[in-house]
Amino acid sequence: MSIPIVPKLLRAHLSDLSANNARIDGRSQWEGRNLVVEHSILPRAEGSARVRMGDTIVLAGVKFQIMQPYPDRPNQGGLMCSADVRPIAGRNWEAGPPSPEAIELGRVVDRGIRESGCIDVDSLCIIPGEKAWQVILDLFAVSDDGNLFDAFALAGIAALRNATVPAERFEVGEDYALPVSKTPIMCSYHKVGGRFVYDACSREELGGDERIHITLGDDDNVHSLQKGLKGIFSPEEFSEIMTNARERTKELRKIVDSM
Amino acid sequence: MGGYGDVQMIDENGLRMDGRSPGDIREVTIETGVIPVADGSCRMTWGTNEAIVAVYGPMEAHPRKIQRQDRAVLDVAYNMAPFSTTDRIRPGFNRRSREISKVTKDALESVVMLELYPRSKIRVTIEIVSAEAGTRCVGLTAASVALADAGIPMTDLVVSVASGKINDVVVCDLNKEEDNYGEADLPMGILPNSGELVFLQMDGDLSQEEFSQAWEYNMEAAQVVHGMMVEALKGGGSQ
Repeated sequence: MSIPIVPKLLRAHLSDLSANNARIDGRSQWEGRNLVVEHSILPRAEGSARVRMGDTIVLAGVKFQIMQPYPDRPNQGGLMCSADVRPIAGRNWEAGPPSPEAIELGRVVDRGIRESGCIDVDSLCIIPGEKAWQVILDLFAVSDDGNLFDAFALAGIAALRNATVPAERFEVGEDYALPVSKTPIMCSYHKVGGRFVYDACSREELGGDERIHITLGDDDNVHSLQKGLKGIFSPEEFSEIMTNARERTKELRKIVDSM
Repeated sequence: MGGYGDVQMIDENGLRMDGRSPGDIREVTIETGVIPVADGSCRMTWGTNEAIVAVYGPMEAHPRKIQRQDRAVLDVAYNMAPFSTTDRIRPGFNRRSREISKVTKDALESVVMLELYPRSKIRVTIEIVSAEAGTRCVGLTAASVALADAGIPMTDLVVSVASGKINDVVVCDLNKEEDNYGEADLPMGILPNSGELVFLQMDGDLSQEEFSQAWEYNMEAAQVVHGMMVEALKGGGSQ
């Protein structure tokens, strides 16, 4: 992504808003944007989801391949998660190999899903030492108006939870629903005008400072954390965010689980 | 082309496996303004093909060495998403998508009035999120709708349609199975108002008569799809 010129006026404006407990799009500090989650929307993917958060739109697609298990883990399949933000998603995203930003996105989402243990890699084994399923989750940004992290994470888990293992096509048995036992949910917070806000839009990202991503599992266990960009935060700030994340992830989990 | 299979794909009534007559196209839907952050956009489904196109610009062209003093540069990229096909596509460099990007650019440069925007750049990004057969046609057609949605002046829209041959019968708009066993494929990019062409490819085996029939089918289908494109641009959605 090309480095946008951060207008000083925007930063000043965001600071003023923040001092009056307001945000640039009229939301309150912990308020998310309008959310729409749909699943099974891509005919060629074995599992798919589309998430729309305000003007941010992303797709997630699940594909399966048969792999040879790693020698040290002969009874396990694999999970791979990759994110790509191509130039379609915004004027600042450029073509070419994945940028560090896109790689960070994919890896942070991957950790949240992987470490929650929602996919039992032992269940992906077909013949020990010979054949196992590799689950590939591809995250694809259509429109970037900020907070691609949460949109990707939500689309990713929604797509996995609605995925079918295409065993018939690979001639290794009958198709079955991919077992996904948990619903890890990510919540992201950006520091804008000196305080943290939930679900920043692109103008808040542009005129803000550091961001923190928290992935919580079904029982509020922490599965991944990431601090990004330049900035300093205090333990008090972090504990405030964590409190909010516990509430918000519950609401989002209900939406995903009910699909 | 998948070669000469002995699979029967036309029944005794002359209908195709999905019930279409030889000259029929698959179902098409067109929607504009689907990417809120883009200057123009279009989502087009054609059978189970789905293309999403974003247009950004005219905007500053940089680095400066790519600028042209007398016109805008058009940057066109066609890409298939990893989950768009039965077998996953590995992201990254790919000769097929480079070629399609190039011929799509050549077609669009023929209609976009680039001379109105010297030293600037217009970026067209075509993403195929679901592929059946004929994605290059869907991509090019959707790109012209997205350019119009962005308000960029063009001499005409471009409608791209392909016809081919299965079981020695010329048919319009091959679906996936037909494409796999098809004996020829003739994609064309047509300017619906003048009947002129800006894009043409062909591979396979067609007699002169078959070629004329395929050409005719494409011209007829272009008029049908053009009507839907105009409706979508006028109203923001069409069936």
